[in-house]
Amino acid sequence: MASRPAIEQRESSTRDALRAAVPLFIPAIPFALVLGVAITESAMPTAVAWSTNLFVFAGAAQLATVSLAATATWLTLVATAAVINLRHVMYSAALSPRFSDQPRWFRWIGPFLLIDQLFALTSVRVHLSSDHWRRFYLTAGLFYFVAWTLTVSLGLVVGSSIPTEWRLDVAPAIMFAGLVVLGLTNRPGVVAAVTGAGVCLLALEVPNNGGILVGAISGVVAGYVADVAQARRADRRSRVTP
Amino acid sequence: MSAFAAISAVLSVGMITYVSRAGLIVFLADRPLPANITRALRYVGPAVLSALTVNLIAGGNGIDGVEIEEVAAIGASIVVASITRNLIAALAAGMLTLWVLLAIL
Repeated sequence: MASRPAIEQRESSTRDALRAAVPLFIPAIPFALVLGVAITESAMPTAVAWSTNLFVFAGAAQLATVSLAATATWLTLVATAAVINLRHVMYSAALSPRFSDQPRWFRWIGPFLLIDQLFALTSVRVHLSSDHWRRFYLTAGLFYFVAWTLTVSLGLVVGSSIPTEWRLDVAPAIMFAGLVVLGLTNRPGVVAAVTGAGVCLLALEVPNNGGILVGAISGVVAGYVADVAQARRADRRSRVTP
Repeated sequence: MSAFAAISAVLSVGMITYVSRAGLIVFLADRPLPANITRALRYVGPAVLSALTVNLIAGGNGIDGVEIEEVAAIGASIVVASITRNLIAALAAGMLTLWVLLAIL
């Protein structure tokens, strides 16, 4: 049986996790509602589109999957979602040391919950003890999983009663444009975004919506080159004026 | 899209998502990514999301599928997002611009 201080510590890490997790969920609410509406308008059967909550649990990839079903081929759809999710490899790399002394079950289950918000919360708390960090991670992660699925479902219910003249079909594109801007932290990022959009625009005639991938790859290359160039310039400057 | 294609697409996306999150934690514990890869991965988000925005606006109809109201709505979203750094405000600005233009044009 756990001692009283152990129980108290467990309760406090659960409380801490919820207190930290709830505010970060609020900006995700409109996203979840837009996804719910997009599910009702998806070319996929509604139940299948909804099941992305359970099997994918990654907002941007879910929105791309259900929105692209109307126009893209199977392969383009899956490849686009895969590319969108590549950023999770970075999260995985950053948290990997914190997972190394965790029980095996948690190493397998934990990553499923690793969305942007959870990474933001847990990557700055890696100094917590192993048990404490795991409880914090699971509490916040499960909160997001449940809250996300419920909010998307709410959007689905609300969305089916909104008239098509409101043009909510444009909301996913507006959402993605906003997400791009919020994700820009440096100049190479801007280069990557502008190149990605520009090349995709030029490549709209590429069959099967392949322009998304052509644009994405060009954008990554451009961003990478700009990053290297920026680092070289900074390096030179620091050598000229020590 | 047929039900089978949809189900297999969702399951494939789910599997790929899981592997990208779990790969380094479950299978390659504690092996850091090469610096070049990390550097490139940083630009995946902006590159693919901006390409996706353009593609969704075209709606599978090439350049003919791009409507001026949609472009203006995207522009409003970008401007408001860069000023406020707030996704709700960006979405609201985009939708309002869209509705106003649809009403007057």
